[in-house]
Amino acid sequence: MSYDDVEIEDMEWNEELLAYTYPCPCGDLFQITKEELKIGEEIARCPSCSLYITVIYNMEDFMRDSNPNNKNNNLQQPIAVS
Amino acid sequence: MEEKERQEEEKNSINNKVWSWGAGTEGQLGTTKLQDENHPQLIHYLSFTPKHISYLACGGAHVIALSREDGKVLSWGRGTSGQLGHGDMKNCLYPFPVKCLESFVVSYVSAGWNHSGFVSNTGRVLTCGDGTFGQLGHGDFQSQCLPIEVMYFRSRHVEQITCGMRHTLVLLKGNSGDALYGFGSGKRGQLGTSMDMITKSLNLPQVIFGFQQVNIARIIANGDQSAALTVDGHLYTWGKGFHGISDACLPLLPSSALKFTKVALGWNHALLLTDCGTVFMLGGNHHGMLSSPQKLRLKTCSSNQSTGCQGSEDDCRLSILEKVSGLDGIKAVDIAAGAEHSALVTGKTALLTIIVLLQRKLIPSSELLFLLLQKMER
Repeated sequence: MSYDDVEIEDMEWNEELLAYTYPCPCGDLFQITKEELKIGEEIARCPSCSLYITVIYNMEDFMRDSNPNNKNNNLQQPIAVS
Repeated sequence: MEEKERQEEEKNSINNKVWSWGAGTEGQLGTTKLQDENHPQLIHYLSFTPKHISYLACGGAHVIALSREDGKVLSWGRGTSGQLGHGDMKNCLYPFPVKCLESFVVSYVSAGWNHSGFVSNTGRVLTCGDGTFGQLGHGDFQSQCLPIEVMYFRSRHVEQITCGMRHTLVLLKGNSGDALYGFGSGKRGQLGTSMDMITKSLNLPQVIFGFQQVNIARIIANGDQSAALTVDGHLYTWGKGFHGISDACLPLLPSSALKFTKVALGWNHALLLTDCGTVFMLGGNHHGMLSSPQKLRLKTCSSNQSTGCQGSEDDCRLSILEKVSGLDGIKAVDIAAGAEHSALVTGKTALLTIIVLLQRKLIPSSELLFLLLQKMER
């Protein structure tokens, strides 16, 4: 059973682990990578115990984010010309 | 004289022992090893131990030990956010003094998920560790590896501090009554400072309304939950709702006739001790039954008559206060809660640990759990 449902906004990006993390009651961190989110994975696991959480997120946000060739991601910002 | 001191020291060291068990991979057991322990391990203090450790605060993966006798503080465990106050961002596998606090006589300490709070006997309050959510109260979102005074309270007398997962509460005593402040993340209502859920974190203390006429004995934060126990034995709770109950953004007072003397908070449950030594629990069903199926249903309501709290839709929420079963005839003298486990001390020497079952599999004690011999003998 999933320990909890956690929104992606409540998770913290960990630069060392290169993963989104959330505190696990065992003292370690639930972790999920951008790559996992991109393919629709919604389970963030704790490496130290048997618990896991369900991550609430919009998969499209990460598909765009991680695909630089996707034109939708690189919407040109209007350039202000004086 | 020296011989007498030595004997005294020896006596103290015999009486004052600390054991640890549970999760240990960040050094939080203080045993110099990086491993989980299923049985209590005696911590060997090393030479710089204060004379008499009287209080232990256990955080996400770090520990703060206080000697009330001389106001000295030791810390160990995870230090990667600066929460140990040692001046670096490193783990420490054994008790080590917080040297920066040596000019203070520390009277109160608290350990959150990755941050720490200290109160001196002169009412100064200092914080260190993770500041990502503003939980250090310094007006920014920086982390600190040395305890820094919360300047907001500079001219006030702080009595207590309590640190949750991403928030902090501070209790002030003054001539004009008690005042309670909150800062850090308020997403689940745990700050109690606003009628609405605060999506933005507060990095400066903000007053929690409703306690002007109330005498508070103890404040407690853990996870995304907050609680205050009054001198009269009434319990206020706010923040993340206990199992199946909506979050509360203002302190709520369960309309219970029971008087409580102690409260311990987990991430999804609260343990309450009555003056008769009976243990009750709120929200204990999250990860396994601890309590008796005979439920005492209590309406939780804003006590707008006595405290000035505004009523809200939470008025009609039902909080289930249950008597912990299997303890018939056993009087508890102390209670403790980790994130998802509970323990209590009975009588003079017997220790009874109740471990919450998680998915039919016992996991190592979530937060570590220590017991002082002194505590048990008291």
